Amino acid sequence: MTATTFQGGRRLITMAGAVGAAGLGLTALGGLADPRQALASYLVAFVFWLGIALGALILLGAFHASKARWPVVLRRFLETIPLTLPLFAVLFIPLALGMRHIFSWVDPSGATGELLHAIEYKRPYLNVPFFLVRAAIYFVVWIAVATLLRRWSVRQDTEGGHRLTAWQRRLGTGALPFLALTLSFASFDWMMSLDPRFYSTMFGIYWFAGSFLACFAVLIIAAAATRADPGQFGHHLNADHVHSLGKFLLAFTAFWAYIAFSQFMLIWIANIPEEIPWYVVRTDSPWGRVGIFLAVAHFAIPFFLLLSRDLKRNPRRLAAVAVWLLVAHFVDLHWVIMPRIHEAGPHFSWLDLTAFVGVGGVALAFLVFRMRGVATMPVRDPYLEESLRYQPQ
Amino acid sequence: MKRYVVAEFAAEAPLLDAARALRADGQTELDLHSPVPLHGSDEALGLKRSIIPRIALVAGLIGAVSGYVMQWYLVGIAWPINVGGRPPHSPPAFIPVTFELGILFAALTIFFGLFKLWGMPRLHHPVFEVEAFRSASVDGLWLSTAVAPEVAEPTAARLRSLGALQVEIVEDAS
Repeated sequence: MTATTFQGGRRLITMAGAVGAAGLGLTALGGLADPRQALASYLVAFVFWLGIALGALILLGAFHASKARWPVVLRRFLETIPLTLPLFAVLFIPLALGMRHIFSWVDPSGATGELLHAIEYKRPYLNVPFFLVRAAIYFVVWIAVATLLRRWSVRQDTEGGHRLTAWQRRLGTGALPFLALTLSFASFDWMMSLDPRFYSTMFGIYWFAGSFLACFAVLIIAAAATRADPGQFGHHLNADHVHSLGKFLLAFTAFWAYIAFSQFMLIWIANIPEEIPWYVVRTDSPWGRVGIFLAVAHFAIPFFLLLSRDLKRNPRRLAAVAVWLLVAHFVDLHWVIMPRIHEAGPHFSWLDLTAFVGVGGVALAFLVFRMRGVATMPVRDPYLEESLRYQPQ
Repeated sequence: MKRYVVAEFAAEAPLLDAARALRADGQTELDLHSPVPLHGSDEALGLKRSIIPRIALVAGLIGAVSGYVMQWYLVGIAWPINVGGRPPHSPPAFIPVTFELGILFAALTIFFGLFKLWGMPRLHHPVFEVEAFRSASVDGLWLSTAVAPEVAEPTAARLRSLGALQVEIVEDAS
């Protein structure tokens, strides 16, 4: 065992932080000229990176709930990802300040007919104070769960024993329903309410499916990137760990397709006036080509690639598929959010890029910063040895 | 008539070593019997990757394609049905059946394909004649190998020298 207290990453923090700050700065500058575009681009980037942190938190809870032993070796990294949630609470501020530019229900003065009716009808839920209170509740729940799980895990590094494992398992399991509810309502608030007429009860799980998949992609990329560093978890993963992560990637590629198609098919087949316009904009315009691209790039290609056992056991090739899936996931969120401000068809703005790099850069810098000062693996977890020997039949 | 030589071993390591040794001697009809999964048994027996995943993939694709074509022919061409003004050929509505038929074909092919590959249904096997072999489903670790009659005794001796607790030779009566 060469897992030591992590003190490196200074260069990565500086570089990612600088790139991230530049990206955010440029997005803010763009926001002065075109606040609508800047905020929409920023929202895509925000829910992309936040979704990965939430996916990691839910995966951590699921591992604790199932008393999983094999992922102990990668658990420290997994439990550090959600520690970026306080950063996302800060990054939420620009959205709260500029919400009137993209959320049409904030100021319904230009609205008529059906839209106005929907806004008035949903006023008890869709109003600014309640929206902000809800956001605060989501972040309090997420940050509390993430902080406690990681704090107990780190405490176990010195204390050892099984008591802290039991605590983590209890909290991780008990938190899952609350995480599911807050994630669902956050997706309703931040993405679905962009069009106050639209509603889909499975919208939350749609965001979750993509985010959970992206979280596995991040784990795989991090494992492949740290393979050569004996102090990092990637070095200690054997082919069976990588294979299991690959199986998860395959399973949740299929899960995303199942959810995305179910939502589309149910709304398409019911064809009722409240729901269908959301998909008419996204399929009957040039946006429809993006939808077909998603079916191919987010499902068909990775699904058939990931059927290969050899690919799933090869960290580098698996990481390449993971990068591809992250790109597809970004296009997915872009396709969900952007038609709100560009109804006619796909529109690429350089603010999409600056916001994406900006939020991602500062999140990565913050993640590596939070990794410093503690062991890179849960060194005194009672199941670490078993995890290192992981060999399923 | 070939002979089956069965041997019980005390632990996993000597069992797998014996399998490797016999394979190095040129024996091909080896098998291991254990009540629990044996890590490394595939490698010790020199088993190739199973063909089942490929069969399942092909069967699943055939099922999916035939599911789609069937619906396209039935409600698109042979008997067009107007459902809420949608065109007779409406791909989204066809996907669930396409998916289900893909799964059904793959599952049934695996089920009956394994029957065929395993030689099922088979009610009896010569090694069952060995009373002690019953422990293979309780706590015994067993190796079995099918050999020509004149090689049976040397094989039994070899297995004893490899550390077998007990060795039996049975004739294939079938």
